[in-house]
Amino acid sequence: MECSFGITGKDYVLLASDMSAGRSILQFKSDENKIKELGPHLAMAYGGEPGDTNNFADYIERNMRLYHIRHHHALLPHAASSWIRRSLADSIRSRRPYSVNLLLAGFDTTDDTPHLYWIDYLGTKAVVPYAAHGMGMHVSLSTMDKYWHPNQDRRDGVDVLKKAIAEAQHRLSIKFTFNAIIIDKDGIHTVDLAAEDPIGKIEAEKAAKAEAEAAAAAAAAAPPAAAPEASAPVAAAA
Amino acid sequence: MSIQEYNGGSVVAMVGKDCVAIACDLRLGNQATGIAMNFEKVFPVNDTLYYGLPGLATDVYTLREQLRFRVNMYRMKEEREITPETFTHLLSSTLYEKRFGPYFLEPVIAGIAPPTAANPNPQPYVSTLDSIGCITTPKDFAVAGTATDKLYGAAEGLWEPDLEPEDLFETISQTLLNAVDRDALSGWGAIVHVITKDKVITRTLRSRMD
Amino acid sequence: MSAPGGGGAYSFSLTTFSPSGKLVQIEHALAAVAGGTTSLGIKATNGIVLATEKKDTSALLDTTMIEKVATICPNIGFVYSGMGPDFRVLVAKARKIAQAYWKVYGEYPPTKVLVQEVAAVMQKATQSGGVRPYGISLLIAGWDAHRGQSLYQVDPSGSYWAWKASAIGKNMVNGKTFLEKRYNDDLSLEDAIHTALLTLKEGFEGQMTAETIEIGIVTVPTAEQQIAKSGERPPPTFRKLTEQEVRDYLSL
Repeated sequence: MECSFGITGKDYVLLASDMSAGRSILQFKSDENKIKELGPHLAMAYGGEPGDTNNFADYIERNMRLYHIRHHHALLPHAASSWIRRSLADSIRSRRPYSVNLLLAGFDTTDDTPHLYWIDYLGTKAVVPYAAHGMGMHVSLSTMDKYWHPNQDRRDGVDVLKKAIAEAQHRLSIKFTFNAIIIDKDGIHTVDLAAEDPIGKIEAEKAAKAEAEAAAAAAAAAPPAAAPEASAPVAAAA
Repeated sequence: MSIQEYNGGSVVAMVGKDCVAIACDLRLGNQATGIAMNFEKVFPVNDTLYYGLPGLATDVYTLREQLRFRVNMYRMKEEREITPETFTHLLSSTLYEKRFGPYFLEPVIAGIAPPTAANPNPQPYVSTLDSIGCITTPKDFAVAGTATDKLYGAAEGLWEPDLEPEDLFETISQTLLNAVDRDALSGWGAIVHVITKDKVITRTLRSRMD
Repeated sequence: MSAPGGGGAYSFSLTTFSPSGKLVQIEHALAAVAGGTTSLGIKATNGIVLATEKKDTSALLDTTMIEKVATICPNIGFVYSGMGPDFRVLVAKARKIAQAYWKVYGEYPPTKVLVQEVAAVMQKATQSGGVRPYGISLLIAGWDAHRGQSLYQVDPSGSYWAWKASAIGKNMVNGKTFLEKRYNDDLSLEDAIHTALLTLKEGFEGQMTAETIEIGIVTVPTAEQQIAKSGERPPPTFRKLTEQEVRDYLSL
């Protein structure tokens, strides 16, 4: 019993996943993070056969990292989606296939567009504006059909996500906790679904970070007063 | 339920007078659940040759990528465009390679070969294959996908010989729309390509979204 | 210190260049070709002729069993100069390549495609360990819907050229000079066959008879023949002339 959502908007893409881990009716954990960052502007929410999921997610993560190191830039979302799809398509016709379904979300920094891909364990790939995997596919897709609009801003996107999550929690007999991320031109940010204004919180964090960076840059540009002292012991040693 | 019907979707192709048409729906489903309404199943090989791959969506991608590779290699080695007849054989042997673990697809091909000195007046061409590459070359139309039975009924009633491009467009559009409206696994929009000797007309159709 | 033999240390390992940039074994292979019986090909407006000399070393030899012009597939034929056994190996490979192509595309390969594949086979023998180059040059004639009739030569190195007319083997130089004089762009197949016989006659040792030469021709199919008929094979465009046909041409 698992549940994940993806929603695109004007200049962002949201990804949310339940945090439960268990077997049949037993829940072993309620704080398992099932969203993996695959690059500076790429992440996936994954689910399926326990064991396969983490192994496959690690395999994808390391290969995305390897590509980044080799080529000095990360794979763009559409290229990453092709590679991941091909991995699963090869896997399904192998002796022991991975049973992993995933939502791949990314932000293409070359043309500033959000991307969302629905991918299943067969290697099926759909390019979609919003999507769900697991039980969310059955109970919350219609909620998203109703409330999603093209070019929604971030707060409206988070509202749709909250409605979809509420529907899942309302209709399903399992208690779910959810975590979520948002990807935009600045990268990946955690969305605090419990916060009054999750987007406001992210904006505040971004502003604080920018301020700190500006201060650091200013300090670096200023004459290095401490430099002679710092090099003094070296000079003495020489 | 068979694996060929897992994602849903249908393709139809028709012969006209010095033209051919090929069309598909746009639905991608997960059994009865609709996932996407932008999933095209018809792809170009070159300016006068298209093919459709209804069936299991993962194999649609895999076979399409495989064919793109083989046609590109053919184009470079032979320094010419592949003809519909030759492409049909290439697709057939590609499918038969996987005889004992087939792609779950029923391809449909539609095209007109470019005129050459040896063949100055090529005829419009439509063919279909089964999932292991057995070729059928009908003179009128070819259908495939989850709405096959409905498409046969509609096409049998609407198709007539020697349709001009605009009439062929109307015929194939009505055939497809009326068939997919009666099929729970097909629909959610459609796209039609009408191929003539010197151009391809592509139109997206709106349809019932339920 | 150099190994025995004229070529020095570089004549044994094929994969080693000599300091002057030559692969000496390939030059030796060309020498084997130059020692072989003469073969020639002429492209005409409506076909191609391949012709070769069939030398019988003994009157006791049954020359009907010797095949120097070979059909590869219904639209392509080979003739060679050089080592007979090497030719048979290459013919077997080429026939297999043509059938493999037919299995994939439902038609026989265009001449150029088969030429490139055969040239690749010959090139491999100049770069692989434990093998020697093929001791033959080929003349390949064929017809296809894409390029019409075309005539190619392939050498032991794997190089290939398209010709209007060419000669290979012992009398290559004289033959080419003769062809250069006789060739023109609106030669008919009948004319080309006669020119081929005349060229072969230059420097022919002994009597030129239907038993001592072999001829293969490419013909261009008519528009009607090119229309695919269901359940029927298209007529072949390459065929060998029978002894009687050769006799008739010789007596003209």
